[in-house]
Amino acid sequence: MKKIIQLTINGGPVEAAVSPNQTLVQFLRDDLGLTGTKHGCGLGDCGACTVILDGKAVNSCLVLAVQANGSDVLTIEGLAENGNLHPLQQAFVNKGAIQCGFCTPGMILSAKALLDEKPNPTEPEIRTAISGNLCRCTGYQKIVEAIGEAANVIRGREEL
Amino acid sequence: MGDYKVINTGAPRIDALSKATGQAKYADDFKMPGMLYAAILQSPLAHARISHIDTSKAKKLPGVKAVVTAKEAGLIKYGVSPARYDETLFAYEKVRYVGDEIAAVAASDLATAHEALSLIKVDYEELPAVFDMFDAMKDGAPQLHDEFPGNLNAEVHQEFGDTEAALESCDLVVNHTFLNKRQDAAFIEPHSCLAVYDTSGQLTLYTSTQVPHYVMRTVAMTLQIPVGNVRVVKPYVGGGFGPKCEATPLEMSCGLLSKITGKPVKMTYSREQVFLHSRARHQFYAEMSLGVMKDGTMVAVKNKAVLDGGAYTSFGIATVYYSGSLIGGPYKLKAMKYDGYRAYTNKPACGAQRGHGGVAHRACFEQLIDMTAEKIGMDPVDMRLKNIMTAGDITVNELDMSSLGMKECIETIRNGSDWNNKKGKLPKGKGIGMACGFFVSGAGYPIYRSDTYHSTVVIKLSEDGGVANVFTGSAEIGQGSDTAMAMIAAETLGITLEQVRVYSGDTDYSVDLGAYSSRQTLMTGHATKEAAEEIKSRIAGFLAEELGIPASSITFGDGIVKFDGAPGNFEKIRSGYIKEHRGWTDPPSGEYLTFREAARMAFLKAGTIVGTGKYKPHRLGGSYKGAAVGTSPAYGCSAQIVEVSVDLETGEITVDNMTDAHDCGLAINKMSVEGQMQGSLSMGLGECLFEEVKFDSRGRILNPSLGEYKIPTALDMPNVRSIIVESNEPNGPYGAKEVGEGAIMPTIPAILNAIYDATGVRINELPVTSERLFMALKKKAEGV
Amino acid sequence: MLLPKFEYFEPTTLEEALRLLSELGGNARVLAGGTDLLVRMKLKVERPSQLISLRKVPGLSAIIPRDNHGVTIGPAATAADLSKNELICDRFTPIALAAGRLGAPVIRNRATIGGNLVNARPAADLPPACMVLDATLKLKSTHGEREIPVGEFFRGPGETVIEPNELLVSLFVETPAPWSGGAYIKLGARKTLEISMVNVAVLLTLQEPQGLIVDAKIALGAVAPTPVRAFAAEEFLIGRQPSEKVFAEAGAIGVGLCQPITDHRGTMEYRCLMIETLTSRALKQAHERALGWKP
Ligand SMILES: Cc1cc2nc3c(=O)[nH]c(=O)nc-3n(C[C@H](O)[C@H](O)[C@H](O)COP(=O)(O)OP(=O)(O)OC[C@H]3O[C@@H](n4cnc5c(N)ncnc54)[C@H](O)[C@@H]3O)c2cc1C
Ligand code: FES
Ligand code: FES
Repeated sequence: MKKIIQLTINGGPVEAAVSPNQTLVQFLRDDLGLTGTKHGCGLGDCGACTVILDGKAVNSCLVLAVQANGSDVLTIEGLAENGNLHPLQQAFVNKGAIQCGFCTPGMILSAKALLDEKPNPTEPEIRTAISGNLCRCTGYQKIVEAIGEAANVIRGREEL
Repeated sequence: MGDYKVINTGAPRIDALSKATGQAKYADDFKMPGMLYAAILQSPLAHARISHIDTSKAKKLPGVKAVVTAKEAGLIKYGVSPARYDETLFAYEKVRYVGDEIAAVAASDLATAHEALSLIKVDYEELPAVFDMFDAMKDGAPQLHDEFPGNLNAEVHQEFGDTEAALESCDLVVNHTFLNKRQDAAFIEPHSCLAVYDTSGQLTLYTSTQVPHYVMRTVAMTLQIPVGNVRVVKPYVGGGFGPKCEATPLEMSCGLLSKITGKPVKMTYSREQVFLHSRARHQFYAEMSLGVMKDGTMVAVKNKAVLDGGAYTSFGIATVYYSGSLIGGPYKLKAMKYDGYRAYTNKPACGAQRGHGGVAHRACFEQLIDMTAEKIGMDPVDMRLKNIMTAGDITVNELDMSSLGMKECIETIRNGSDWNNKKGKLPKGKGIGMACGFFVSGAGYPIYRSDTYHSTVVIKLSEDGGVANVFTGSAEIGQGSDTAMAMIAAETLGITLEQVRVYSGDTDYSVDLGAYSSRQTLMTGHATKEAAEEIKSRIAGFLAEELGIPASSITFGDGIVKFDGAPGNFEKIRSGYIKEHRGWTDPPSGEYLTFREAARMAFLKAGTIVGTGKYKPHRLGGSYKGAAVGTSPAYGCSAQIVEVSVDLETGEITVDNMTDAHDCGLAINKMSVEGQMQGSLSMGLGECLFEEVKFDSRGRILNPSLGEYKIPTALDMPNVRSIIVESNEPNGPYGAKEVGEGAIMPTIPAILNAIYDATGVRINELPVTSERLFMALKKKAEGV
Repeated sequence: MLLPKFEYFEPTTLEEALRLLSELGGNARVLAGGTDLLVRMKLKVERPSQLISLRKVPGLSAIIPRDNHGVTIGPAATAADLSKNELICDRFTPIALAAGRLGAPVIRNRATIGGNLVNARPAADLPPACMVLDATLKLKSTHGEREIPVGEFFRGPGETVIEPNELLVSLFVETPAPWSGGAYIKLGARKTLEISMVNVAVLLTLQEPQGLIVDAKIALGAVAPTPVRAFAAEEFLIGRQPSEKVFAEAGAIGVGLCQPITDHRGTMEYRCLMIETLTSRALKQAHERALGWKP
């Protein structure tokens, strides 16, 4: 039996009927067409499906869609504002932090959750924050640099 | 080096924006009206005779649209190399590994497809199985393929010079053995494919592959569709690293099911299925002897390889050749002997993975060099420098090092890592190690025997003249080839990167063999450059004719045209353009003629401006059997220094830092080159310290997940000091050559040599888990 | 990866949750963070017909200080909460450290302490930490409630004393005595996202700074079907002057209690050797923390 859920996704209200055994990532990708959230394993091992759920980075393959009822979900599609890239997105582009790009949405969201909590993270803090997000292409270095750069940009903006 | 405007910079990738925003589409992101979902039934047994398959219940399940087995699919054999076509889409008579494909189902939703699989009844007669490569080659071992008695899938014997005599003449001969473990490529995007068979009989596959061209050929052959009616489109791909270099049962099943149902059919492998499909790095056993003179001169190498191939050939023949041929350099040798064997076992087939065939043997060899250096009391860096090849050298097995910055790489990292102050001087538990390696920049020959061009490219200018559209069948899989092609096109045409669009990965666009053997920058790059040059000369010719000046006085750069290096008198062209564009809002201005104006006016005269380019290597290599494998128009090379800390009480290893110098010829995109270097090192570190696909006693994978199969996380991988060493490769476009695979070659031995430096223990089996190292330390302490 | 079908319930009070649990019977499961249960369901190891989510039951994720004598931890407190909570970091260090080593941040944001305990994997991170702190678990059903010391909670891999109709509703942990220090060490292959090959939690209490050891608790994970306390080693330590040698001896005694297995993650032999090394190392770390104890 389907259940009706109401939630906020990328700032807008969404109401939908979902099956209890539908995961959040399936709901986002299959029902809403928000395919920016990736699916790499379904078991919490890779982090490709990371979204921000009520302020926290989580693996959306291990959250039921019904569990997101009433919640606030941010996916990669909701990060840019008014057509302007989020500083994290811009830094990932500029710093070469993206290769195949399959880990990128999840990486960026884990990084966003970090910067929301700790605007001035150390390198070990950055590395820890993305340690549940596997990347096979980059060796992480440029990702870590990009997150550091985005943190600077965001802090710079706030000081203005 | 030349004064370049676009190439040789660190420009952001042209696809980065769409990937950063989640807009980039990968195969599993596609959906079509009426689309069916497919799933594959795989063998639960490692070796068994199939006595009966009953699909009747599955067919009756509501929602099921088609069920196919070997009966429907036919028995056309396929594989990678025509010399060893040993697979059929679905198993008939017998299954040869846990995961062998038996049937496929298409249904209106995925849950139904899975339920249908559970309703297919297969009767098996279990057969004895063999899982170890040495056991497989013994008398009386269970046989996988009747055609290959003794489970000997391939065997190679090569000798260059008189090796025994050369070793005899040496002051010292040192031996070493090495065993790596079966790896998984662990790209984050599982294989996925959407097949659409339309009413006109054309099959289009949207699939996650490195090689649209080969997929097209194999699918056409196995499904018996004229090859011209198969189109393979590669959307963005979430990493490949080798195993996506061949047509998969997933692609063929989707194609077949779509053909049968007339509906679009999609399937995506689960992570476990990615492991089962495998086609990743083999397990290699290496046995090597190196003979040297007292002064450190290397003389001869004897090399033996045994490869665990799994149940089918895949790339295996090339692999077993590579393990021999890639030892030929980058050190001068007088003689080299190689014996290689690839055994069939009842496990998933192994194939190509980053550093194809070369990684394990390179690891053995570079350890051997360190061992030898120690014995003769020489610094390992000095020993390598003493024997290093330089540009123009040809290896004993006739590989032509047309450019080779190996010496520069070694010297650069020696200085960059403070080697002289560290080697032998670090406290106990800390160590430093180095190693070198080289790799092909594109295989000299296609996988099937053919005189085909390896790459063709078409560039078409937009009718307004403002944009160059590059059409190529090459495969952007994350390595950045689209960006490299855009940069080469922009540089050659003298326009900006923003003025180029790349349409790639589609077999309808052009012929391109795809993303393997680190070939695209060089080969597709050549074709791109040639296509761009044709366009440039057509526009220059048009301007010359219109303005009555010599074409040689015209140059292009930054989107503008210069005449003898000056603005010149181009009034005729500009006024023509303005007249043509009356009422338009962006009249050209500025002191120089723009490329856009010139191209637009050329279009008005001649119609659509198109340029085509093509590339195939010149004849390469020797004439001995197997000489083709290892040949390449160019070779990239690298040297690495790694520092480690070992916890002597637990055996835990931390790689503290890595210094890597790579000669990639001219770096088309420096940021991408660094990215390839860092990614390669990360994969090498994983293989060295953690990665191993493990099996239970019945051939089932014990760790088919990214939780239990451990690739490095952000906390395991240190920062890499990445130093690009540029040489000018005469056979490369703008002097460019590979970086994508060669960079992994030195990583494992550099770590192993550093571990030795830290502990005095030589590890010759991967992965170096804390347990393996600790037990070795313990043994040493106990004097065993 | 598809989840099998099930019915989903989202009770909004504890009473309702307990009632559902008793009415639905043995094939219903409590869903907390889902990082374990949903994985097991996807892998088809478990196939419950009903899931009862705890997310709307109020108060279950709270971490509440009890004056100066202890803390009550809700079962739905996440590993992330626990690893960052100041009080837990300060006074109940092994729990904070173990929570901080569980999975990776994305997992820790969902994974709960209740799920980790009830799940009862021999290699889990939080059980040894709870054991050295002598946590008491409160189990409740429609019929009543009972309190169980965590040391009596585990019965085997995946098995605990909890009845199908019972809910773990809280943990109570008494504040360790002054001059106590804790430690937690986990040995795995990677630096993160690891299931332990061996893990050790320790709590050490000194009589006074530089004084004798008055209390010692050592618990080991992944070395037996359930996490185990190394009582003999603890007894050995009590009354002794802390020193590297004493810690090393305690480590050696600790090994005697373990029956680790050989599996693809590590052999029995190596695990035993590591128990010894890591126990003494954890004792050393705990000792240093005890010396730095502040009121
Ligand atoms: C990628 C990954 C990495 C992991 N790494 C680690 C690790 O490093 N260390 C580790 O220890 N674990 C690890 N785990 C396992 C898991 O995350 C933990 O065990 C976690 O604490 C489980 O909590 P949960 O809230 O997600 O439990 P759930 O999955 O919701 O539940 C687990 C079990 O406990 C029961 N349960 C939950 N709460 C209650 C309650 N209050 N009363 C009664 N029954 C209850 C459920 O019915 C279920 O049977 C990992 C998991 C994943 C996916
Ligand atoms: S898909 Fe969710 S963690 Fe891999
Ligand atoms: S960029 Fe490919 S996995 Fe990270």
